[in-house]
Amino acid sequence: MEYYFEGYPRSNGVAGTRNYVGIVSSVICSSAVVREISEKVQGTVPFVHANGCAQLGDDLVLTKNMLVGVASNPNIHSALIVGLGCETNQVSGLLKNIPKIKSIKGIGIQQLAGGENTIQKGIDITEKWVAEAKEQQREKLPLSSLTIGVLGVELDNDTLLATAPIIGKVVDKWTAEGVKVIVGMSKTLEPAGEVLAKRISDTAELEALVKSSEGMKRLRWDDTKNGSTTFKEFTVEQTQLALLESKMTGEKTINGILNYGEAPDKDGLHLMKTSSNVVESLSKMASAGCSAVVIVSSRGVLTGSIALPCITITSESDENAFDELVDYTITKSESTNHVESIMKMIQEVCSGKQTKLEELDLGEFSIPHLGTTY
Amino acid sequence: MKTFKGYRRADGSIGVRNHVIIINAAGELASLTKKIAQMVPGVIPVVHQAGQSHSQEDVEQTKKAIIGTAGHANVSAALFLGMGLDDSTNEIVEVLKMRGHSVHCIHLNKSTLISEAIKESKLWLEQALEKSKKEQRVTADIKELIIGLECGGSDAWSGITANPAIGSFSDAIVKDGGTSILAETTEAVGTEHILARRAINETVGQRFLDIVKRYEERARAAGEDIRVANPSPGNKTGGITTLEEKSLGCIKKGGNSTLMEVIDYAHRPKEKGFIFMDTPGYDVESVSGLVAGGAQIVLFSTGKGSPTGSPIAPVIKIGTNTNLFKNMPEHIDVNTGKIMDSNYSIEDSGEEIYRKVIDVANGEVTASEKHKNQEFSIWRLAETM
Repeated sequence: MEYYFEGYPRSNGVAGTRNYVGIVSSVICSSAVVREISEKVQGTVPFVHANGCAQLGDDLVLTKNMLVGVASNPNIHSALIVGLGCETNQVSGLLKNIPKIKSIKGIGIQQLAGGENTIQKGIDITEKWVAEAKEQQREKLPLSSLTIGVLGVELDNDTLLATAPIIGKVVDKWTAEGVKVIVGMSKTLEPAGEVLAKRISDTAELEALVKSSEGMKRLRWDDTKNGSTTFKEFTVEQTQLALLESKMTGEKTINGILNYGEAPDKDGLHLMKTSSNVVESLSKMASAGCSAVVIVSSRGVLTGSIALPCITITSESDENAFDELVDYTITKSESTNHVESIMKMIQEVCSGKQTKLEELDLGEFSIPHLGTTY
Repeated sequence: MKTFKGYRRADGSIGVRNHVIIINAAGELASLTKKIAQMVPGVIPVVHQAGQSHSQEDVEQTKKAIIGTAGHANVSAALFLGMGLDDSTNEIVEVLKMRGHSVHCIHLNKSTLISEAIKESKLWLEQALEKSKKEQRVTADIKELIIGLECGGSDAWSGITANPAIGSFSDAIVKDGGTSILAETTEAVGTEHILARRAINETVGQRFLDIVKRYEERARAAGEDIRVANPSPGNKTGGITTLEEKSLGCIKKGGNSTLMEVIDYAHRPKEKGFIFMDTPGYDVESVSGLVAGGAQIVLFSTGKGSPTGSPIAPVIKIGTNTNLFKNMPEHIDVNTGKIMDSNYSIEDSGEEIYRKVIDVANGEVTASEKHKNQEFSIWRLAETM
């Protein structure tokens, strides 16, 4: 079978499944202005968040990286950065770091003497870009121009048994087609670490996996007694669940472990440390360059990412999932080739078909904190 | 006796606004919360990304901030959207109901259709809005006002004009029996001894020194120096050279009154008079904490021009210089630049601020309210897991 999709090619070889004009706020103080511009100009998406000032060290670096990443996302046709002026996270710094492969501009409220001027200026700029974006037609493209994320959300044993092996096969097919795949892992990363490590050949990446899973130890800190911290052992159930979830990564070599805000520079399969906060995890994937994400869940999630289509897959079960939110249910029927059906369904979504979350217009963006604000 | 007209609540508190709000219990519901608010004009969405995968201290702090916000005197009614899984909505709603607040929670779970949840939310909010329109303002003593004191986008004038003028107002309202809360622990660094000397007793003074120390240590433990983030790039172009200099200007907002109490983030003061709340220098998070602690109005001085507000409390912008007032009049309520160029004394500006506070308490709309600056964010202490 020949795989392809219809998308928007970008000058750096990647392709978008959507063609939005992004409006990115550098700091929470410009979020009202960003929202207003976006409400007035159809075809734009607002990237607002709570960060951008009084931040330090890694916490600030992550905010910067994620904003640079999301402005660079292949689904974003062009991006307007809107700042306040006096914030720690300066617009000029973001502009310097966003690769010059699309139209990018930065404006600031203080520089333009107020929110009203800034909104007007933002409308003028983005209306022009939206008109350009509308001119662009979808083209038939190979899957290798895609980066796709896979994220498990609240997966129980039954759902995992039904979904993980099938998702794993889809992931293997994608990597064979040259798709960059990013599988998000949170609690699974440590208990399944040893098994996953066997599939990593690059020693630097192996070290990165160990480091990422070390951070997870905080999840099982026992009470600190007499100044020393002990770790609870994983239970048999926890380990089994983790091994089951890791089947979603398929069987191919793991080419990289992505750090916070890092985009893959190699082809093939990557792992990314995510949290159990869905919005933050989806936002990390958007910032890493994903143009679509597959959410595998026992319940369905109540929001997608504002930057990309999120396809929700669940398994057949007695308990009803949020039916209105589910795009594909893996039934127990032996006669269905779920792997091919999922490949086809995702191809349609990447070619423009709306997901259930998109139909309901539910999408968010948020940046995690690595530390406190000051 | 100075008075204002406000909305009396079941728990005895008095609000200066009569908002109907919808608030999300988890970040995952932020989008749906905004969508529902848009369907019922007049309803204010209070959205945030807190409430999931937190460390224990963040769970407690977030809960406190949400209870303080949804149960605030400026809020006539609050609708919660919850996930019904392990979020703390039920507990929060129970606490608020016991205090007599008009609150309701709608849980999104597997057995609820989203379309039904939206319909139910709309209906509840429409009824709450109708009810709120019938509520009348009643006369109240100025003693019942709690005013939060904040600064954002400071410049070299902040410590000379706006902040001392706010300090003069603070002393005046404290003298009249009201309450003012100074905040931003970061910006007390380097000046902590001055404020500690003004404490009512040694315990309060020591507590203040302790929270400043805790702040510096928290940063150092993470391998960071607060002074790298503060003063901010804007502060520096505005003429501020060090954190200590910024701090000296910052604490001027507290006037010369006795420090009665030091409280944690989003906690309600037990005392009246001049209070200090432990908040970050990050203005939006600090304002959210002050309001959650019960401040009905916030004074916010700015030199560079910061438009931010609060979803439920009027924020009064005090500009530090006349150039700013001419450049960005849409974002400034009071110009204290007059101290530099119009022969105004600090006390004159303090009185102007006091008059403004009473007008705003009576319903006058502030710049941030007019421009729908409803920024809200809860101070996060640790990494999300």
